[in-house]
Amino acid sequence: MSECTCHENPLVPQVCVITDIKKETPDVKTFRVSTRDGKKPFTPMPGQLGMFSILPVGEAMFSITAQGEDYLDFAIKKTGQLTDALHEAEIGQEVGLRGPYGNTFPVEDCKGHDLLFIGGGIGLAPVRSFIRYALEHRGDYGDIDIVYGARSPEDLCFKEDLMENWPKEKNTKVHVTVDQDLSGEWKGSVGFVPAYLESLNFSPEGRKVVLCGPPIMIKFCLQTLAKCGFKDSEVITTLEMRMKCGIGKCGRCNIGSKYVCLDGPVFTMEELSHLPNEY
Amino acid sequence: MQFKKSDLPKILDSMAKEATVLAPMKVKGNSKFAPWGTEGELDFGAQNVLLPPKDCLFPQTEKMYRFETDGLKVNDFEVINESRPTVLFGLKGCDMQSILCMDDVFLTKGYVDDFYKKKRDDLLTVCINCTTVAKECFCDSMGGSPNGHAAADIQLYDLGESYQVKAQTEKGQKAVDSWQQYCNKDEGEIKEIACELKVDMDGVPEKLAGMFEHPIWEEISRKCVGCGICTFLCPTCYCFDIDTTKDGAEGTKFRCWDSCMFSEYTRMAGGHNPRPSKKERVRNRFLHKLEYFKERYDKNLCVGCGRCVAKCPVNLDITSFIDQVKEVASHE
Amino acid sequence: MSQMQEELRQKAKELLEKGEVRYIIGWGKGRFHHRPPIFIYQAEDVDKLVWDEYCVANLGKYLLDDKFPEGKIGICVRGCDSRAVVRLVQDKQVKREDVCLIGLPCTGKVDQEGRELVKCRDCMHRNPPVYDIVLGEPVEEKGNPDRFKRVEELEKLSSDEKYEYWSNVFDKCIRCYACRNVCPACNCRECFVDQYRVGWQGKQKNCMQNQIFGLTRAYHIADRCIECGECERVCPVGLPLMELNRKLIKDLNSLFGPYEAGVNPDVKPPLGEYRLEDPEEYM
Repeated sequence: MSECTCHENPLVPQVCVITDIKKETPDVKTFRVSTRDGKKPFTPMPGQLGMFSILPVGEAMFSITAQGEDYLDFAIKKTGQLTDALHEAEIGQEVGLRGPYGNTFPVEDCKGHDLLFIGGGIGLAPVRSFIRYALEHRGDYGDIDIVYGARSPEDLCFKEDLMENWPKEKNTKVHVTVDQDLSGEWKGSVGFVPAYLESLNFSPEGRKVVLCGPPIMIKFCLQTLAKCGFKDSEVITTLEMRMKCGIGKCGRCNIGSKYVCLDGPVFTMEELSHLPNEY
Repeated sequence: MQFKKSDLPKILDSMAKEATVLAPMKVKGNSKFAPWGTEGELDFGAQNVLLPPKDCLFPQTEKMYRFETDGLKVNDFEVINESRPTVLFGLKGCDMQSILCMDDVFLTKGYVDDFYKKKRDDLLTVCINCTTVAKECFCDSMGGSPNGHAAADIQLYDLGESYQVKAQTEKGQKAVDSWQQYCNKDEGEIKEIACELKVDMDGVPEKLAGMFEHPIWEEISRKCVGCGICTFLCPTCYCFDIDTTKDGAEGTKFRCWDSCMFSEYTRMAGGHNPRPSKKERVRNRFLHKLEYFKERYDKNLCVGCGRCVAKCPVNLDITSFIDQVKEVASHE
Repeated sequence: MSQMQEELRQKAKELLEKGEVRYIIGWGKGRFHHRPPIFIYQAEDVDKLVWDEYCVANLGKYLLDDKFPEGKIGICVRGCDSRAVVRLVQDKQVKREDVCLIGLPCTGKVDQEGRELVKCRDCMHRNPPVYDIVLGEPVEEKGNPDRFKRVEELEKLSSDEKYEYWSNVFDKCIRCYACRNVCPACNCRECFVDQYRVGWQGKQKNCMQNQIFGLTRAYHIADRCIECGECERVCPVGLPLMELNRKLIKDLNSLFGPYEAGVNPDVKPPLGEYRLEDPEEYM
């Protein structure tokens, strides 16, 4: 058996192991991954990406939702060939992993600011890395508000964080809404994220926004944020495009002359306004 | 110094002892850079060889690594990155320029592509100036020249009966040193020529930057058939896909040329496609060639080799497009 | 030719002015000898229409880009274009009432050196079999007595020789899919090649995968190939694709009786209908 230590070739993954699998929602699972010798595969900054593969099936880029001493977490929604296979995988499955790729959330620029995180569905996955970072460096940031919505109560990702962990943190509020509730047991807000966001009426004063979710949610949230007086330069989002190489070579994730895998995935709305509208 | 054209086979033979010598050849009716010493005839016509030389640095299909799986385990894992000394002989200036474009992509901006680098390090480039041009040639409008390329390791000048030799790099000089026995003193004069087809690129990248929403894209893309001829014959198109082949427990990861003209190219796992129709795809291709690459690497990604002009089944022609861009009013 | 071109422009002008068609698909002037397809919406633009010996591209396929047109589409049809439209109508891809076929009897097209195109040399329907309007006078049909000559030569080869021959052919394929994209019989909403999740077709370019593509495609269009020869014309590496198509046509003819796709809209393709007398040796 050959141990793979081929990081010098950026297109070749290292072989890692799935050490834990947690079901978040009916179609989202979080996969915990370590190297074969039980170490953290690499140390990403919030917002960065990892190219994750089941070797015989395929490779795809995912945001890294959390990291610990000796692991990386990926929350992955079932949407295609690879993710179908991943959802069938069990603990102990060996996978390929390469990265970290892309730029990071502007954790330095955001220091001293209040933070408003807005997520929809699986869009909370990339945002979560920054939320966790901000909570770990609690003194560097002001108030933290997390606005999150999903289709239904059972589609809420990271329920433990949302309902138990995060609300306990100092000066941290979690605001959760669902599009609809057929169970009748949901006690919280029912309605789409943009309308809910509007009702919360955040002030732009000293506040940065991190926004991530389906395109339609982003579109209407931006209108709401504009109404509240937020400037494009204060609103940060992440983009998703099909990727193959992750290192700005294979061509397909370009938006204008930028590559999402290398120059993104994190952009401010101000930066996006200078790029062709093709995402 | 110079050598007689009649000695060319001997020089190629001698180089072929230590390297794969790829020269423009006609092989079974197809013109391409093919290994000297295999079936086929040398072809130094005015028209570029049909297939671009990029295949030798960036093969149409390239194995990257292989592995074996056993249940949950990955049992064997081996990187495949093979290369041997290679000579690209008889490049025209346009194709030499295309290699510089590929170098920018694969060797710069934070990551070096090992598969490319290994082959590039093993490569010796030998350019020959053009003595005639094809009607589709327009390299000198795109910043190149039919009269040679300064980046080639060796530049040859066609003097009719002989080639004048100019080593332009250390690597080139080393190769030329071994040709001494065939070489004589210089005589004769190098004739310079120019392309007949001209386009005016002045201000085009800047103008295109404001034309993303222009109606021109809808108009020009109407006739596109959405095939990959332009991208696969293009010496600079470098987009690739990565995929897997499986044979029981064994698997191989390979990369292969992909084309931005194919709908599948940007289609995401959930089905969303940011470039759903040929309008978006043609727009991306032309903007990539003429604007985006210029912004990112300060080069045109079109070298004016004329292959797509000659071979597009519906004459969706980049030179006509450039003419049209010059004429239309900016939209924004 | 120039008189026909004048007639064509006049007719186009009339159709556009009267609002009988919303636009006209024809040929226009390109960079050199090229006569690329053009789309004329305004009566004042009809002078951009060209009709000469260089109008080579088959236009039928463009109807698929506008399946639900607001008003009729006028389309210039030679024999081969007319057959392409008939094929698309028979495949229910295009509604006959959505198109106005402007027939142009054709004496064959030439390449840039003035040589007659192979596809025109082999043409058996120089007059459009189906049209709404026809310009000029009908031209004499020359038939193609050599239609299956090449196929018969290939049939004489041994299995090994045949394999070697076709391996050499497909070894050259660069998988640009131009043959598929111009083919009026290739009108699947999603080609098997693009169904990556199912995995019919590997993306790697090698002789085996190239053969999977070429042979599957040939079988898939077997009784629907209109012999327009566009696949061969556009192939950048010059593959003799019509040899394969004609072999299948020849076999189908011997199994189900003579049939020419796209000639008579009322006759269904042999693999598209069941007849009691169909051979069933495979049962």
